[in-house]
Amino acid sequence: MDVSQENAHESLNQIQDATIRTRKAIASSYASGLLILWGLVWTIAFVGTHYFLSWVSHIWIALGVVGGIGTFLIFRRQLRSTTPTRISGTSKVGLRIFGLWILLFVYIVVWFSILRPESGLQINAFICTACMFAYIIIGLWFESYFMVWLGLTVTGITLVGLYLLPHGYYNLWMALFGGGAILGTGLYIRIFWN
Amino acid sequence: MAELDKIIHQPVRLRIMSSLVALDSDEQVDFVHLRKILSLTDGNLGAHLIKLEKAGYIKIEKTFIARKPHTFINAMGKGRDAFDEHVTALKKIIGGSQK
Repeated sequence: MDVSQENAHESLNQIQDATIRTRKAIASSYASGLLILWGLVWTIAFVGTHYFLSWVSHIWIALGVVGGIGTFLIFRRQLRSTTPTRISGTSKVGLRIFGLWILLFVYIVVWFSILRPESGLQINAFICTACMFAYIIIGLWFESYFMVWLGLTVTGITLVGLYLLPHGYYNLWMALFGGGAILGTGLYIRIFWN
Repeated sequence: MAELDKIIHQPVRLRIMSSLVALDSDEQVDFVHLRKILSLTDGNLGAHLIKLEKAGYIKIEKTFIARKPHTFINAMGKGRDAFDEHVTALKKIIGGSQK
């Protein structure tokens, strides 16, 4: 079979294009709805915390429940329609989820001993970074590198808010840049990757 | 030595295989989504899938979800090996131009 160098180059470009399009389309189907939902939950919860501090536990519990129900509904909708992909035969996903919990546990123990959260602010930052650690691990395992970058970015944003900003602005900072980053990523994926 | 694969080299089949190989070995993609990702028509995608299936490169599985028929496709080990060899051969051709 005779193929010119130009043709070979074109074929490799087609392969790269199809590979990227596939990964983006599938990531968009699964992740965008969840990121939009949780981005909104974070943003509203942090804004609520800033303005109604005495209601903080009620705000987070209520929005956590809303997020949980929303997540369930998104998964149910995906299962009832058709998901873009499905796992066949002996799947590694179960093992990966088990590994995720183990790593998350180790991370929490190590990070807890370093950060030693005592105040409400520190506990909040601790939970945020633990969530973002889960994003990073999921991104690495499923080769969804936008999740890795999102996890690292929001972790950095959280640490800047905790250590460098006046504490009175922490919640607004996290609403704008933490929740905003998650929401913005979800919207970007929904609009440009679909 | 890596050789080009005539079946895979056809542009549409090359894109189909690229999409399928991008997934995990135990992951299947839905026909409708694959058609959308590659911007192909039903007939065009179906015809090329049959050729790839006959070569033993892919597996096509028809099933029902909520009483609606769905078709799922995944790349077989033989198809993944052939695709990898094809890519290696293409890179070798390009590598020749850089010497």
